[in-house]
Amino acid sequence: MAKLPAPGDTDDRTAALVIEFRNVGKTYKSLLGNSVKAVEEFSLVVVDGEILGIAGPNGAGKTTLIAMMLGYLRPTTGAVEINGVPARQYVERNGIGYLSELIAINPKWRAETALVRFATLAGIAQSEIQRRVDYVVDLLGLAEHRDKKVKALSKGNLQRLGLAQALLRDEQILVLDEPTHGLDPVWTQRFRDIVQELRRPDRTILIASHNLDELQRLADRVAIIDRGRLQRVVSTGYENAGVESTTEPIATRFRITLASGHEIIQAVFPQAEDAGRGEYDVTVHSLAELNAALADLIGKGALVASVIPERSVLEQQFREAVGESQ
Amino acid sequence: MSRATSLARYSLWQFRDFAIDRGAAILIIGLLWGYALIEPIRHAVGPQVVGSASPLWVVAIQVSSAIVSVAVLVAVNGIVSADRKAGYYRFLFSKPVNPVLYYAQQFFVYMVGVIASMLVLSSLLHKIVPTFSIPHFLLYTALVYIAMGGIGFFLSVTTRYDWLSLAAVWLGARVLRGLYGAGNDWRSKLVELLPPVHRLDDVANSLIGTGSAHMADVMWLFGYGALFFALGLAALRWRSLAD
Repeated sequence: MAKLPAPGDTDDRTAALVIEFRNVGKTYKSLLGNSVKAVEEFSLVVVDGEILGIAGPNGAGKTTLIAMMLGYLRPTTGAVEINGVPARQYVERNGIGYLSELIAINPKWRAETALVRFATLAGIAQSEIQRRVDYVVDLLGLAEHRDKKVKALSKGNLQRLGLAQALLRDEQILVLDEPTHGLDPVWTQRFRDIVQELRRPDRTILIASHNLDELQRLADRVAIIDRGRLQRVVSTGYENAGVESTTEPIATRFRITLASGHEIIQAVFPQAEDAGRGEYDVTVHSLAELNAALADLIGKGALVASVIPERSVLEQQFREAVGESQ
Repeated sequence: MSRATSLARYSLWQFRDFAIDRGAAILIIGLLWGYALIEPIRHAVGPQVVGSASPLWVVAIQVSSAIVSVAVLVAVNGIVSADRKAGYYRFLFSKPVNPVLYYAQQFFVYMVGVIASMLVLSSLLHKIVPTFSIPHFLLYTALVYIAMGGIGFFLSVTTRYDWLSLAAVWLGARVLRGLYGAGNDWRSKLVELLPPVHRLDDVANSLIGTGSAHMADVMWLFGYGALFFALGLAALRWRSLAD
């Protein structure tokens, strides 16, 4: 089975290593002796300039993985290192821009006060604090809420406040856990724009999300985990779609709409299924195969109106990976 | 800006938290308790010089020392565990902050807060009982904060129910020492390991009354609390920030 072409694949990366998960495992033990393995034998390297997505179903171990990366939890086995030092040590020295899934800010604090406090702890110079606070308040549209107490903020505004505190400082590493949870469509789109603006060669961004569409749009690679195990790492986007895991790449379905040349389709795509109204479902195993066939189709006189993937590569890989583990 | 400087600057926020969340409660409890117990006796005794044999003096010592214990209990309740339970640690410690230094600073900021609260209350008491020494009382407050607060700090690092645990340890030590302290068997040796709360009454009487106390008693109380505070810091370094 041919592998999807991957010109941007990460096998030959030369950028400096930033984050390394080395055979990381986390087992929770109860007082009664019961144990639950939240993460098992997780190994992954995340490099400078990369946006890595972490996808997985509920309880897959995403948040535990992030907690270990920030040093909030100690791995039962293995180690997490950032720039060659234990993760917690790195965080205490440098800080990380972190948005947690659960936005826990003292409800009695006012939004602006919370940001000033976090800016103080982040080591921002006294003279700079107000400027940085104003910047994130504007960036995240919190101006009209800055004097409100945290407990008075809506879910979406609280989420934006959480993101604002993560962006207070110019961090080299950003970790965003379910960043668009509770955001309306306008702010979801705005968030995506912000992440794209944050992309920088010397910055690494980790985004954990259930939202595959979001990861498809934002991430360079997506680590799919399920039941605490890394199932596969998928490079997103059709220009560099690929899988780094040992599993074989899977077929991708596209829906082709023809304006003319309906009679030619079976000659080029023998397995094409007629979906009616000039639309055909075809299965290919690589973009090269798709493009060659389309060129053939057009060369034979067909007029192609559209080619739409039935599912994104990521969605397809996710279904396959999670299905495999179950 | 260095991490130490930014953490030091954050102490002003910690003090503000203390004043709003705990200091006000300590003052209200102290005022109500003190007024309810001392005012009737003052009224009965009338305008006379208050000596150490005066019932007003005895009550003042008892009430003031009890208020210190309650103040320390209120101050260290949840000093670490509250952030863990509420999840506040997530944003606090994604910043370049060492949690051990953060909570050590918080412990001493709260100590300043307790002493400031006791300064207010003892100034009022001094108006009623002029022989009541404010400096001696503040010295006693500092000692009890270290002795009791150090254990409370350790319990807050290691358990979720630190308020309850501290009250149980404090009262339990008194009860067990009362039961077995005078004996010579293994139980009496075992209770020697408990917090030396039995020394507190003597220390309160002598330290608040005269400004001096048996050095051995003071060292026991101070050493016990300081040891547990240090153990709390070590546990904070060792255990996970998240539950």
